[in-house]
Parts: sequence; structure tokens; C-alpha cells
Amino acid sequence: MKKTRKIVVISLLISLGLVLHLVESFFPLTAVVPGAKLGLANIVSLIAISLFGFPAAFQVVIFRVILGSLLAGTFMTINFYLSFSGGILSFLLMYLAYYFLKDYLSLIGISIIGAVAHNTAQITAAYLIISNLGIFYYLPFLILLALPTGFGVGLVSYFTLKHLPFSITGGNF
Amino acid sequence: MKITDILTFYDKILIIFVVLLALALLVIPFYYFASESDAELLLKVQLDNELIKTVPVADSYEKPIVFEVEGLIGTHIIEVNQGRVRVLEAPADDPLKICEKTGWIDREGPIIVCVPNSLSLWLESTDSDIDGMSW
Repeated sequence: MKKTRKIVVISLLISLGLVLHLVESFFPLTAVVPGAKLGLANIVSLIAISLFGFPAAFQVVIFRVILGSLLAGTFMTINFYLSFSGGILSFLLMYLAYYFLKDYLSLIGISIIGAVAHNTAQITAAYLIISNLGIFYYLPFLILLALPTGFGVGLVSYFTLKHLPFSITGGNF
Repeated sequence: MKITDILTFYDKILIIFVVLLALALLVIPFYYFASESDAELLLKVQLDNELIKTVPVADSYEKPIVFEVEGLIGTHIIEVNQGRVRVLEAPADDPLKICEKTGWIDREGPIIVCVPNSLSLWLESTDSDIDGMSW
């Protein structure tokens, strides 16, 4: 892929991630289990991992988290650190899973790994802040909820990649 | 195209593993919070790593107890009513207001947290030897 084209696609993925992040807040999943969300922005991370590999996909995640918190006005607050920790850990695990287990797991499995990692990281970060072990009460519920949401996210990423034109995928997928 | 064409064998193993993991973790709270229906419940309020308030929930049956807790980013209004507890109003500066959306809690186990304010509220029965810090 040409360098310019790659930059354009990365920027598009970042802005898509920001929009998905916004759309996500319309679904009040946090009323079901406190702290739960759909993780739609993970679609973008998965696509970026499959298309570009580590450095570019890492850029997509970092810029999505930072720009998202700037838009929401939570930059450098506790909410920023929470979404940062969840975003980075789930990205790293998804990348490792993609890199080493690509032949065994489909995008759905990788997405579920990301969703579970995201929840575990956020609960742990929240525990470090409020230092009350009781918060882990919600972890099993969050993990159970991560299954359907991770499944859906993986499925969406799979079909998105399948229907992307050759000019974007460069025949990588 | 069927979903089984996309899912691999190892995907299914992963899904089963995650379900089992979640169920195993789910057993722990049920084991610890085997409910004793006649036990007295206490509301504990923790702010910044310090237990700042203990309220006997039984006092709330006659009339609701409403009090304020002031944290780093603002003031929470907490309501104890008919043996249940909720955050009536989260600070305006709390972007997600998760503590408010958690709603009522009425037994041991669930916890109301406001992470930006480092505030947590939970119920504890008086005869229990475990507390929020030890489980």
C-alpha cells in the first residue's frame, strides 16, 4: 500500500473509532452492569490490526483514546486513565492473539479476548483508585457480558474486512 | 454464510473457557454472601481509602435518610430508604455518572462506586466477619 493511502486509511479508522465511541454512549448498558459497554470502537482496532499490524494499529488506538477524551472533556482525568488502561491492554492482547494464534482463532475469538481483557483492566484500574475489593463483584458479570458484545464486534469486523475494496486491504485479507 | 463457517474449533473452546471462568468467579460472591435474612445491615461509606460513615439501614424504615458526601470532584447525595441505598444525585462533573445509574442496592455483595471521586458504598451485615477489604 502507498504511504499516502495508508495515512488516509489510518485517519479514517481513527475518526470512525471516535464516532463509534460516541454511538456507544447511546446504549445504556451501564444500567445492566455498572461500567459495561458495547466496545464498538474495538471494531476499528481489530480492522487496524488485521490491515496494518502493530505500529499503525497502535497509533489508531492511542489517538482514538486521546482524541475521544479530549472531545468528552475528560483528558488527564481518572476517566481518561480508565479508558486508557482498558484500551491499551485489550489492544496488546488482541495483537498478540492475532500474531500468534491467527491460524487457530477467528476474529471473533480475538475480539472476545479483547473484550474480556478490557473489562479486567478497567476493574483493576478502578480498584487501584478506590481501593475497595468489593468492586470485583461485578467482574464475572462483565466477563459474561463481554461474550455477546465481543462476539458481535468480531463478526462486524470480519464482514467489514471481507467487503473492503482491494485498494484498501491490498489483498492482505 | 453460516456462523459455523467463521467460528473455528478453538473459538468455541475459548468461549466455553470464558463462560466457565465467569461462572467460577460468580460462585465466590454467592459463597461469601449466603444471605441471612434477619441480619442487620449496615451501610458503609468509603472515601479516599477511609471509612467515613456507617449507617444502620434499619433506621431508614420510618423515614428516608438523605445525606451528602463531598469528594474531589463534587458532592454526592445519598439516599437510604426502606432498607435500600442509592446515589440520588451524582456530582455534575462526573462524566459517566455510573454511581447514579447503578440504582438501588439492598443486600450484601453489590457495591456502588464512583471512581472519579474515589467513593464506594456497600452494605454489610452486622454479624459478618468479613468486610469490604477482606474478601
